[in-house]
Amino acid sequence: MNPTMDRGQLLRITRNLTVVCILGAALLGAVYVGTERYTRMASLSAEKNSIQQMLRLSPSARVLEVRQFYSVAGSQVIYQPTPLGDAGAQARRLTFSLDGMLLSDARGATLKPQGTPELAPLGRVFLAYEGERSAGFVVEGLTQGYKAKIRFMVALDSEFRIISVRVLEHEEDPGLGAETATPLFCGQYGGRTAADLARLGVTRDPMPEDWSQALKQLELRDPGAWSSAYGALRARENARPVYAVTGATISSGALTRGVQSTVAHFQRRWDLISRHLGGA
Amino acid sequence: MPMVLLEGQKPGAWQLLKNGIFSENPVFRLALSLCPAVAVTTTVANGWILGVAVLLVQVLSSGTVALTRQWILPQVRIPVYTIIIAVWVSAIDMTLAAFAPALYAQVGLYVKLIVAFAIIISRLEVFASRYPLVPSLWDATGMGLGFLLALLTIGAMREVLGNGSLAGIRLLPGKPLLFFALPAGGFFSIALLMALFNKLERMAATRHGRPAAPRAAAGGSHG
Repeated sequence: MNPTMDRGQLLRITRNLTVVCILGAALLGAVYVGTERYTRMASLSAEKNSIQQMLRLSPSARVLEVRQFYSVAGSQVIYQPTPLGDAGAQARRLTFSLDGMLLSDARGATLKPQGTPELAPLGRVFLAYEGERSAGFVVEGLTQGYKAKIRFMVALDSEFRIISVRVLEHEEDPGLGAETATPLFCGQYGGRTAADLARLGVTRDPMPEDWSQALKQLELRDPGAWSSAYGALRARENARPVYAVTGATISSGALTRGVQSTVAHFQRRWDLISRHLGGA
Repeated sequence: MPMVLLEGQKPGAWQLLKNGIFSENPVFRLALSLCPAVAVTTTVANGWILGVAVLLVQVLSSGTVALTRQWILPQVRIPVYTIIIAVWVSAIDMTLAAFAPALYAQVGLYVKLIVAFAIIISRLEVFASRYPLVPSLWDATGMGLGFLLALLTIGAMREVLGNGSLAGIRLLPGKPLLFFALPAGGFFSIALLMALFNKLERMAATRHGRPAAPRAAAGGSHG
């Protein structure tokens, strides 16, 4: 510091920087308030599109979002079904005890997906209907990866067979764990039934060349065309374990276990809640 | 010719624009902000998006500094400039996220990096803190355009050579020289274009009957 700097100068500098920071913060606050609603709308429509794509829904399909929470204090599990993108202030609240007894079915304040300190979020489930017929589910899942949590979505048909798995957020290493987010890895889950999935293992064997060629086509071709071209190959591979990404056995195993437990949990919960959802 | 301005001299708009695009082009002449210039210019489209964002941030920051320079204490000018740049970058970042989410998904990471671009803070320090609003805005526009044009040229060269396409339109089958799409190829592209830039400038100077100015290696040790 300049030795000749006196107290007044120090005060002026402090005042100068404080004013700049306050003005900057005020401006950013104003921009945040002005854009927040649109950011939320944009992320909601991205979510809608991705559900529509994963389940190959028609534009007229109806999607119901079920928010799931676990109340630590009350040892209860709470389900809140709301129409996707139209969560009103009030929503149905189905409360179950841990052994699966329906405790109450009332209306209550709509809970935010991130939960509250008392209510831990258990992820969301999206139920799709074409008319009255179930058109499949998309289940949100979270698993501990090599570095941070991996957030993903599993699309299931109404028989609990996997349609596709999509990684939404991860912080794995580029070129290694990050490769688990590509269709070349995630595509391996498609077509497996819930029973197959429960027994699914991960192998460090190299992926056969013909299968990796097929998986590379997964996002480039229409799903119907892909199935007719590679259906036999997929049937062969669905009887085998998942091939780990080279150098990323931990990430590969983490995602596989995450998909397994997400589907298993959802199947159990679905048995509980499905008969109570009519008219939601 | 690099422009030497004296305090109090009134530079014209055209002179300032030309200065930013040619005489003191941020990439080819000042060699500033080369890291992003290498990182994002694998395609023309990427160069275009980042270039436009930098142009916007430069104009807004220079304008802000030119208007408020009398209140900014010289001892703390650098942190104040940084805050001004950061505020504009964050405002643009939030606006993009709200109104152009598809674009934001592609470029969100690069836009946040603009806070640390040397070219922006150096124009605030060299120009906007010493001149009134109007010349500062012209200087910022010139510098922003110079940066944008440089990114477009580098992007075009690397996309054609490395990927066989231009602005997403396929020109050649396959990838002629994949090397140019990789980071090392970025440095080679900038060096080749800088050499071409020097050559063109020398030719222009000789045509006007002026000897070419001796050119020291530009001091570009900044991000």
